[in-house]
Amino acid sequence: MKVTFVQLDGVEKTIEAVEGETLMEIARDNGVDGILGDCGGSCSCATCHVYVDEPWQATVGKPDDVEEMALEMVYDVMQENSRLCCQIQLNAETDGIRVKVAPGEY
Amino acid sequence: MQISETGQTQGGCPIDHNAISLADATMADPVLRAHPNAYYEALRREDPVHFDDKLNMWLVSRYEDVVTVLRDPITFSDKLGYEAMYASGYFEEFKQILDRDGGGFFPDVIKDDPPAHTRVRRLLEKAFTAHRVATLEPAITETIVGFIEKLADRAQDGTVVDGVNDFAVPLTISVICEQLGIGQFNAEKIQRWSGAVTAQISKMQDREAMIENAKLICELQHFIIQEMKDREANPREDMISDLVHAKTDDGGTLTFAEAVSLVRAMIIAGNDTTATAIGNLLFVLATQPEVAETLRASVDDERALNRFVEELLRLEPPVRGLAKMTIEEVELGGTKLPKHAHVLVLYASGNDDETKFECPRHFDHTRRNIAQHVAFGVGVHRCVGASLARMEIKVAACEIIKRWDNIKLAIPVEELTYLPTVATRSLERLPMTLSRRA
Repeated sequence: MKVTFVQLDGVEKTIEAVEGETLMEIARDNGVDGILGDCGGSCSCATCHVYVDEPWQATVGKPDDVEEMALEMVYDVMQENSRLCCQIQLNAETDGIRVKVAPGEY
Repeated sequence: MQISETGQTQGGCPIDHNAISLADATMADPVLRAHPNAYYEALRREDPVHFDDKLNMWLVSRYEDVVTVLRDPITFSDKLGYEAMYASGYFEEFKQILDRDGGGFFPDVIKDDPPAHTRVRRLLEKAFTAHRVATLEPAITETIVGFIEKLADRAQDGTVVDGVNDFAVPLTISVICEQLGIGQFNAEKIQRWSGAVTAQISKMQDREAMIENAKLICELQHFIIQEMKDREANPREDMISDLVHAKTDDGGTLTFAEAVSLVRAMIIAGNDTTATAIGNLLFVLATQPEVAETLRASVDDERALNRFVEELLRLEPPVRGLAKMTIEEVELGGTKLPKHAHVLVLYASGNDDETKFECPRHFDHTRRNIAQHVAFGVGVHRCVGASLARMEIKVAACEIIKRWDNIKLAIPVEELTYLPTVATRSLERLPMTLSRRA
């Protein structure tokens, strides 16, 4: 399975990954710039913020209430297609997904 | 040293200080620690990575440098910084007491460096996800409301109550004991144990206090070991059972010493800093009526309540400064630090940095970059219990303002005292009056 991250510097990283991993874990393990994942995927730090590419938005869906609250921490750069990628698990449906790393200040 | 705290403004922003000279100021001074913002400002402006010779530590004060240190846990070792801080000056004697009378000396495994730290960290993260914390909210709300109502009863007819020792401390102890599955507990004892542990990173402990605190920690450890033995035999749905029976990602288990240190850390971290935050909440409500008004207007708006909590944590962070140590010579903020430089990272000064947060002493829950404060730290050691702490503070804020009115200090603000430590800025007591909301 594949997932593509577009870093803030424009570099695209396409990574071979395993079903069940979250996009945050994949990014962190492969050194994608700008995905920090400080809280380890517990949806409490908003340091893995991405914008989901249009064709994939319906597949991954909207953030739930808890994720919505965590996204509030980055509301100054929040968009309609914002997600915390620790909450997106790779599966057959999301194989090939493409996301852009959102700007952050840390 | 005299520092005035009121009434001044600079370009429309409140400031709480007169000019201060770094030459004769030190974090070892309790008056400075009680009202530190003028000193932080002078540090950031004049000498952002400053050697405090009385403390024998380097103070890191600018937001940017604080984040740089926390983002590089290899160069700036948490393990070495913590060890150099721990029972400072009396470590060997402290360790002997624990080995002899306390069941052993159990180093804090959460203060290890990566990669050893990562193994244990992953385990704890699972216990504190925001989604899991959300499921705990109804039960915790009930507990907190109980404490709020009880204090309102005691405060009837203008009786002075203590917002810290009658409310914030027993409340947070009750919440964490519930999570850990400790059914029977003596809150006063846990408060004393907690103080004894946190005193080890205070830098302000003399030998007599060390011996007294070591005895208390021995007691605490025997209590923990007994609870763990019980869960080994009879596992239940609680965090002590989870830790005793935990499997790490590598398929292994925690050693006994690691598990004791983690249960100890959960008890201490679960009440100490959160209690300080709730004490700070009461202080702000009692001294800034316009902030109380903002909160009152936000009770039905979850988003505004969350922003209120973040701004409270930015303005009055419970953790003031934690230690790191350089593993090699390194330049930080224009200053060359030698190998094994003992560094105090001033989270509270980072949150107060005017180049990052406009009008930093002003409470503004609408500020743009509200969640970029460093009250929970940044990077691999970022507070693992942040979601739980946030929820406790939010529920306390919301339920207090619904139920209490006329929250006022019962003594002049200058008479408030703080615990003798560089690690946190914690009120020792908060005499106050309040009435029930009509």
